[in-house]
Amino acid sequence: MEPLLLVKNVEKSYKKSVNTAKALEQVSFEIDHGEFVGVMGPSGAGKSTLLNVLATIDTPTNGDIFIGRDNIAKMDEEKLADFRRDHLGFIFQDYNLLDSLTVRENILLPLAIAKKKPAEIAKRVDEIAATFGISDLLDQYPYQISGGQRQRTAASRALISNPKIIFADEPTGALDSKSATDLLESMSSLNEQHETTIMMVTHDAYAASFCRRILFIKDGRLSKEITRGNRTRKQFFQMILDELAQMGGAANDAI
Amino acid sequence: MTLFDLALKNIRRNMKNYSLYIGSTVFSILIYFTFATLKYSGDIGGMAEASKQIQAVMGASAFVLMVFVAIFIVYSNSFFMKKRKKEVALYSLLGVRKKSIGFLLFFENMVIGLVSLIIGVVLGFLLSRGLLSILLKLMGMEVVAGFTFSMDALINTCLVFFVIFLFTSLLGYRIIYRFKLIDLFHAEKKGEEIPRVRVITAIAGVASLAAAYYIALQDVLESEVWRLLGIGTPLAVIALTVLGSYLLFDSVLVYVLSVLKRNPRWAWKGLNLMTASQLLYRIRGNAKTLTIITVLSATTITAGGAVFGVYYNAEKDVQKMTPYTFMWEGQKQDIDPAIVESQTSFNSKLLRLPYDETEMEYAVIDESTFDELAKNLEWTDIQKLHRDEVFAIDGFYDERWSDKLESVTINDTDYPVAHFYEQAPFNTGTLGSTAIVVPDELYGDIQSEEKLVQAVQVSDYKKRADLSDKLAAATDNFSSRTADYKAVVESSGALLFVGSFLGLVFLVATGSIIFFKMMTEAEEDKSKYAVLHKIGVSNADMKKTIRGQIGIIFAVPLALGLIHGGVALASVSNLLSMNFLVPVIIWMAAYTLIYGIYYFATVRSFNKTIRREYMEG
Repeated sequence: MEPLLLVKNVEKSYKKSVNTAKALEQVSFEIDHGEFVGVMGPSGAGKSTLLNVLATIDTPTNGDIFIGRDNIAKMDEEKLADFRRDHLGFIFQDYNLLDSLTVRENILLPLAIAKKKPAEIAKRVDEIAATFGISDLLDQYPYQISGGQRQRTAASRALISNPKIIFADEPTGALDSKSATDLLESMSSLNEQHETTIMMVTHDAYAASFCRRILFIKDGRLSKEITRGNRTRKQFFQMILDELAQMGGAANDAI
Repeated sequence: MTLFDLALKNIRRNMKNYSLYIGSTVFSILIYFTFATLKYSGDIGGMAEASKQIQAVMGASAFVLMVFVAIFIVYSNSFFMKKRKKEVALYSLLGVRKKSIGFLLFFENMVIGLVSLIIGVVLGFLLSRGLLSILLKLMGMEVVAGFTFSMDALINTCLVFFVIFLFTSLLGYRIIYRFKLIDLFHAEKKGEEIPRVRVITAIAGVASLAAAYYIALQDVLESEVWRLLGIGTPLAVIALTVLGSYLLFDSVLVYVLSVLKRNPRWAWKGLNLMTASQLLYRIRGNAKTLTIITVLSATTITAGGAVFGVYYNAEKDVQKMTPYTFMWEGQKQDIDPAIVESQTSFNSKLLRLPYDETEMEYAVIDESTFDELAKNLEWTDIQKLHRDEVFAIDGFYDERWSDKLESVTINDTDYPVAHFYEQAPFNTGTLGSTAIVVPDELYGDIQSEEKLVQAVQVSDYKKRADLSDKLAAATDNFSSRTADYKAVVESSGALLFVGSFLGLVFLVATGSIIFFKMMTEAEEDKSKYAVLHKIGVSNADMKKTIRGQIGIIFAVPLALGLIHGGVALASVSNLLSMNFLVPVIIWMAAYTLIYGIYYFATVRSFNKTIRREYMEG
């Protein structure tokens, strides 16, 4: 079976007056359908750049990115917008909810943009809100609910259109440990039960331990890859901490 | 480092915010001072004394202008303060006393006020001189040396703006005491409350608009309201209109948007949800802005429409009262035959008829003379007289206070009036406004002294001033369309000036306010559009919602402004007994067109701003 996401020799460089700074260099990897992949690395290693490039928010300088059969590195802007709408879901650290819309309206926005029928939209919103336990909050505004609830709203919005792949950028970054655990468990169960493919960027080893596989990135290059296999989450967590300690510098970031 | 140094440094670093604020205060002072100079200037003032209408127009305009600058400054000040709350919070956090910060803000605002006042007055002085001389030239008036620096205008301007700045300074001072530190830090983040629909406000809004319209459409001479309020009536109408518009925006717009937003069929389609929410979310601020825009549009439409109407009617009016280029009593005069279109010599007699207690004088002409005069003017309804019938003519006929003559007694015989003409086929200046046309046979029987009258029609009458002057000196009872036209254009000069000035200022102001407001929103909301971009909203959809949002901000006040303007113009046209329909429609179309250009410019800049954000981020 062909991989869901195929990244081939992706490079990203920023022009800075004289010399060009490379944020990504020769990055290649694959993600299969139903995987839960974490991307870790020290600050400034290029994690977010990689995610933005894969998420079609930014364009790579060189290389190819295939999601299914589509090469998103070669699409024009209008097509990319449609592609994002139909196939990708996003969860961001700062939620990125629209504060003039209610929770319900925030969640249904992607379906509204895709011009789905109102009845269908209403049904999907109820389902997804139940999954994330925010059914009671649907008519509140984002500023009336807590950070954890906001992030679950954002996750619901990301998932409502049944995307091929979910990109999560430090989703637990602004959450307390209880809310973070709730969110990670929801994501984990979505991944296991509905085979939702998730790629999550994080520098938090605890969050990363919920993944099945982790890619380490350093100075714009992929440096290492570890898989959880049959280990328990706690064992995997320890393994990640060891790995970070070996990479050096990033250990401070992890805690 | 003292607090003063800190403040100075801060000003230097936040020059962009400051310059926006200072720019808008200077702009307001500039406009107000220019208008005040005009209002207090001897020439226009002299004219204004001659006419109560012009006085009312000037008074109302000055009031509207004052309200406008006050709202505009308070609006820019609150926007400016909102941006600075964080800075204030920082001072507070560092342990500067509230009192000191309060004084800092107070003095800072007063200093800004003083600086703007100086710049505004200097620029206003230059502008008023330039603008006045250009406009006077356009009106064909001699540029008099009268438009010098007006002390009254300066005092008036200083007084008005001192009050406004004092008010905004106190607002700034109050902010420190009313808010808690924690609020100050979240000032920019705090979500505005989504407003609830209030039926009472909606009713109050409609009621005050209805009242304003009712008063505006009253007849000046007969209305009770006018008798009660006198010259204050226009102010009452304006106040009611402003209040009504505000309440309408505050309630009716909220209602419509809420209903739309709650309806999934409409809302859950594309970005309609976003369009409605964004408008609803800002409705409190929007209601104020929309009211200002409505008032400005209405004022511009009214002022411009009235001026254009008077101008448009000047020629027609003169044409009606003085259909022949020249008429006089006596012998023919030498006129270059090349420019003469028609020349008629005829006799006329004088008839006195009893009217109420007194007598009315009527010029009498025979039917063949009437036919010839009317034919020269290309009249279409020239009727034939039967025996024992007469026609009556009243060039000043007005159904509100004129009576129609029904029969005429000549030589003890009653002659019924077969047809009543409300327009004279001769110059009322020479023959008088009332006349009787009798059958040729009857004309000879009338015992009265007879005079010889000349009626001449020449081409290009507006350019025959020299000929007109020459004839005026050589003849008796002379009337000239050339001279009358010139007089009308000159006497409506003040009105013309006020109208064009206000029209210009308000059109610019309206456009700037909307532009200013939408750019502010673009800055505040660009992160929202970045989110939309990330979740896959196409550029086409994004543009659609922006066009929609800006479209509402432009279209709704324009529509209301056009209605207000229409009512006001109906009232002005009553006041001046002129028909404004055609010029007003032309003017409204022109206004809408220019306004439309502002709309497209705003949409473009808005798109650019948010696009820059998500392309970079």
